[in-house]
Amino acid sequence: MKLRKYFSLTRAGIIESLQFRLATVVMIFGNLLYLIVVYFLWKAIFASSGTDMVNGMTFSDTLIYLVLATALFNFMEMYTVWEIGRNIQSGKIVLDLLKPMEYRRYLFWSYSGTFVTQFFFTFLPTFIVVAIVTHGAITFGFNLVFFVISVIMAVAINYSIDFLVGTICLYTESIWGINIMKQVIVLLLSGATIPIAFFPEPLKTIVYYLPFQSIYNAPLTLLLDGNSKPDTTLITLGTQLIWCVVMLVLSKLFWKISLRQITVNGG
Amino acid sequence: MKRKGLGFYLRIYRKILIQDIKSKMSYRADFIISTIGMIFTNIAGFVSFWILFRNFPSINGWNYYEMLFLYGFSLISLTPVQCFFDNNWSLRTYVYSGDFIKYCFRPINLFFYYQSEVFDIKGLGQLAFGVGTLIYSWNKIGLAVTPLMLLKVILFLITASLVMIALQNAAAATCFWIQNSFYVLDLVLKFKDYAKYPITIFSPVFRFIFTFIMPVAFIAYYPSLVILRPDAVPILSWLSPFIGCLFFWLSYKFWMYSAMKYSGTGS
Repeated sequence: MKLRKYFSLTRAGIIESLQFRLATVVMIFGNLLYLIVVYFLWKAIFASSGTDMVNGMTFSDTLIYLVLATALFNFMEMYTVWEIGRNIQSGKIVLDLLKPMEYRRYLFWSYSGTFVTQFFFTFLPTFIVVAIVTHGAITFGFNLVFFVISVIMAVAINYSIDFLVGTICLYTESIWGINIMKQVIVLLLSGATIPIAFFPEPLKTIVYYLPFQSIYNAPLTLLLDGNSKPDTTLITLGTQLIWCVVMLVLSKLFWKISLRQITVNGG
Repeated sequence: MKRKGLGFYLRIYRKILIQDIKSKMSYRADFIISTIGMIFTNIAGFVSFWILFRNFPSINGWNYYEMLFLYGFSLISLTPVQCFFDNNWSLRTYVYSGDFIKYCFRPINLFFYYQSEVFDIKGLGQLAFGVGTLIYSWNKIGLAVTPLMLLKVILFLITASLVMIALQNAAAATCFWIQNSFYVLDLVLKFKDYAKYPITIFSPVFRFIFTFIMPVAFIAYYPSLVILRPDAVPILSWLSPFIGCLFFWLSYKFWMYSAMKYSGTGS
């Protein structure tokens, strides 16, 4: 009964996202281009290194990592900061706050339909193609289960960070700058553009203590590591869980405090 | 109508520029945050570049400092599009809402008037970053500093910048034909990330595509060869200034042709 109201938002989201087909085609084309560049760039890097293994990763490992990171990015990126910022500027946020649902949940569930369509139209095809093309580089075992659990937590962490940053817009009323800062930091420090294994030493340790690596690096290393030791898996998932809880609480608290700040121009 | 001279347009540009900066300054917080965001983007770009290439003595025959030269060159040649042509991003909203019609009623060049309305100061940070990188790598490679060299660099930088401007003009002008040109602009925006790599890392097919179909290689690679590899400059490098001008002229014609088809929304 309680979930019904959320799923009705999901359904509306699915229908809405199916309307924008041209956008999807252009996006797929853009991603394809990006992957081509990534492929040749890393091929050149591995060719000039002289060894098959750089920083514990082979060429196909790196490629799978980066391709799936892109697929995960498309799947997880919810443009929450934009959405909140625009709603603040236009005043629409007042209407959303009146809804009989917490704003944080409302925003998440109204986007969840896109999760479903993105999963079936971009993530799953990419995953299957990668699994076939690299034949055997992805092991099919328990790591898939861990991967799924890890991705679910990654979605929660990513959303909480987005929501936290979006809340800042209540104070600044500036969207572009805040959003670009968040995007740049998350993409770099989560390992979405370069696998964290390639980071130089002090930076690598610092990055492991930050929440961002739980978004892309954690699920992808769990997936690639076919027969990992139980304790490494446990540590990775445990770290994610901690960040998940911390970020959820933080974003919730910050929103609650900030809501007193809100000034809406018109609406 | 008498043709207006260059001096006339420069005078007008100065006047519009002052008004634009005044209006930007009234949103001081947004301006400062956006500037910081832009600096963040540049730093993150540089950090990922450093992480990638610091391990390897050379990639595909390009050493670290030569890669850095390419990177700095691309940053500088991508600055004008950011500073002077940022209003292209708003074009689709003006066209959609009908406000574009106001530009059509001025007795000056439509394209000039439209683009002159916004000057994006954020781009200057990128310029400073690019110049710093270029000077640093110039020193490290041990290139001579002669008036001829400087003249060459400046000439090739200016003409190279026209390529990206042309791509963006053409992408923005598609909004006169299709409803939502954001995706086209966004796709073209991604191209500029590929400008900083030597084109030789790609396979012949993609070398052809990046030279003739999506001419990103003219943003940094071909013009840089004139400075970095003075003994073996391919014909395309010498042609690149003309290609830059040609692309710009074509995009201007396309932009104007599309704008002339605009009939307003009736409001």
